Amino acid sequence: MAGRGRRTMSFSVDSVGISRGETLPPAVQQPTPVFPVMEQKPLPLTGGEEAEYLTALKQDFRGAMRSLPCFIQPAAAHRDVERYSDKYHLSEKKDGLTDWIIDWKRFPKELRVHISKPPRDGGALTCLGGAPAGQKKKKKVGEKEEVLLKLETLEKKEEQESSEEEGEEKKKQKEEEAEAEEEYDEEEFEEETDYIMSYFDNGEDFGGDSDDNMDEAIY
Amino acid sequence: MTAQEICLCGLLLREHFGEVVEKVGTHLLRSGAQNLRTIVHETNLSVDLVKKCLCVLVQHGACSFTVGRKGPGSPTEYHACGERILRVLRYSRYIYTAKTLYGDTGELIIEELLQRGHVTMSSTVKTVADRLTQNMEEGQSLDYSEVSSTFSKLVETHFLQRCPPVGAAGTSGGAAPAEAPATPAAPAAAASTAPPTAESFPECYTLPQVTLTGRGKRQLVPEDGEDQRNAKRAKMTSESHGDEGIYWQVNFERFHQYFRDQAIISAVANKMDQTSSEIVRTILRMSEVTTSPTATCTKPLSTNEIFRSLPASYNIPRHILDQYLTLLVDDPMEFVGKAGESGGGMFVVNLHKALANLARATLESIVQERFGSRSARIFRLLLRKRHLEQKQVEDFAMIPAKEAKDMLYTLLSHNLVQLQEIPKTPDFAPSRTFYLYTVNQLPTARMLLQNCYKTVANLIERRLFETKENKRLLEKSQRIEAILASLQASGAEPEQLSEVEEMISAPEKQQLDVLRLHVNKLDSAENQVDETIFILESYISSTSAS
Repeated sequence: MAGRGRRTMSFSVDSVGISRGETLPPAVQQPTPVFPVMEQKPLPLTGGEEAEYLTALKQDFRGAMRSLPCFIQPAAAHRDVERYSDKYHLSEKKDGLTDWIIDWKRFPKELRVHISKPPRDGGALTCLGGAPAGQKKKKKVGEKEEVLLKLETLEKKEEQESSEEEGEEKKKQKEEEAEAEEEYDEEEFEEETDYIMSYFDNGEDFGGDSDDNMDEAIY
Repeated sequence: MTAQEICLCGLLLREHFGEVVEKVGTHLLRSGAQNLRTIVHETNLSVDLVKKCLCVLVQHGACSFTVGRKGPGSPTEYHACGERILRVLRYSRYIYTAKTLYGDTGELIIEELLQRGHVTMSSTVKTVADRLTQNMEEGQSLDYSEVSSTFSKLVETHFLQRCPPVGAAGTSGGAAPAEAPATPAAPAAAASTAPPTAESFPECYTLPQVTLTGRGKRQLVPEDGEDQRNAKRAKMTSESHGDEGIYWQVNFERFHQYFRDQAIISAVANKMDQTSSEIVRTILRMSEVTTSPTATCTKPLSTNEIFRSLPASYNIPRHILDQYLTLLVDDPMEFVGKAGESGGGMFVVNLHKALANLARATLESIVQERFGSRSARIFRLLLRKRHLEQKQVEDFAMIPAKEAKDMLYTLLSHNLVQLQEIPKTPDFAPSRTFYLYTVNQLPTARMLLQNCYKTVANLIERRLFETKENKRLLEKSQRIEAILASLQASGAEPEQLSEVEEMISAPEKQQLDVLRLHVNKLDSAENQVDETIFILESYISSTSAS
């Protein structure tokens, strides 16, 4: 501060409006409050049909985006304690980007992620897949299921001889895959265990089911 | 990009694409162009996840890739586009505009394209037809040709455009010479490495020859395994329709042009009357496709042309039209200008001036609502008179000295008013310097735009907080709704339904209602702030272009 001992400020002149001897507002000693008091209340929002429709559109769009394959969920958060059933639950959330067919010509080569489905379908279907850990498990199970699938493929082939021309192979493969998917999703065949998946249900979701039948007592 | 813009982009990415994409996106926005390895290293995510995120961002046009800086052979670099991400805020407005102009079909087409980013025409038509068929009565279905015709109308009026072609490793395909529309444009060996804009592609509004016949399919309820298998088979048939490789995207600039025109028309209607706004609307409609988005004013139109193109319901005589046009030209707002005398008078709409006036009105209104009408009077005075001394402000504004001083200092501390020093002597001595108050419209507009971004970010944060607080309650109500729906579908008795409904207690219902009210209010507020953002952004970009 210039002028030690003199109490003049750098530009207290009439032209800015501070006359001599006038009390200036007190010096600010701390940051301004986070939520200062508003002297004027803000105007209410414009309501009306259009605004409501726009709001509804916005909320619908957000909801729709969550269900699209573009919405990438990170891997499930680690629980506090590692549980035995985690090993068997891991492959549940693996759909990811499988139903998003990407035209790889429009993307740089390095972004291409090839995850071939387990060898049981006999044809590599390129699509984005999950972490390598899931891959290994699927491969193991795949080998065991090939026999089952071969039988089903033969059944399918008989049915499909009367269908149309080209793209047949692809269709079959995809169908086998669909079949395999259905099979795979069945509870008994997951992860080489002898128990059905609900055996590994650790009871954390209990109490959410509807209690329609109040006749039987629940112990 | 400023910190507020990056914060807002992050929140929008999180809501629409998930947290992982948010992380990658904000990292790219903060650090500029980077290659894949660096991104993986700095975000500590797995390579697969980063690749997926980049695919999502590129698919939606939020990220572009180019050959690395060190020339061909170096890894591709990814560059996020913050402006494109901020557009997400305006999606509902785009969809609503398409609905008003082209009905439900147009609305669904635009919604589909906004959800997926880049889509081919055939898949869009199929999905939209299926969706519309869902909502129709049993036994009716929508033909593909209806949807195709709406699609072509959207392309003709430039609301949709083709995605520019992409060469290998991101080199531009260049402006390919006109080829047969059915074949996808093959990328030519490019000399330049700048990524092409959609407009530079000469085919960007050409419809491909698409063979698309059929009707919308109703989604089958899987009753037994047979049906499910059939449905899956139908989904996976990939017939080629002749437009492989031709992707379409929404042309945001065209929508912005439309919004700008709407703003000008409603401003004229508010200031003058309905007929003048109809005249301005006619002029703007006639110059829609001939005016480039960055033009200062529309192409000159003669009175004769305007007279011929007025809507039939407004049969005003010729001399009345002349009077209206003269009034519009003389108006201080200067929306319409006279460009010559031939043809009975050539008239243009001054787009940049109109935008500047709209922005000025927005600033004045902001000051008025925040500081009161007398501060607004001072603000308007300074905008008009440019530089004024303290004494002159008091005199012109007719406000007592002490209050005027207080108001000026408040405005000064909020940076809405600036102090300009003009020295009489080279040493800037305070007693020998003029101090003038002034308002600069452009920097003030920029500052208020950043405030708007921060406002929207705060609104989104608050909404996320409210939903998180009541997450348990929301989940419970969703479960109950699902149970109710399934019970109703399987035909349950009313007692069972009421029993299930009673699982939510009355105070919980009240809490849910309050929550819904808050969320709706916050969403609606976001939309309104976005309108202000649009006006300010258009004004700022118009000044930078000229």
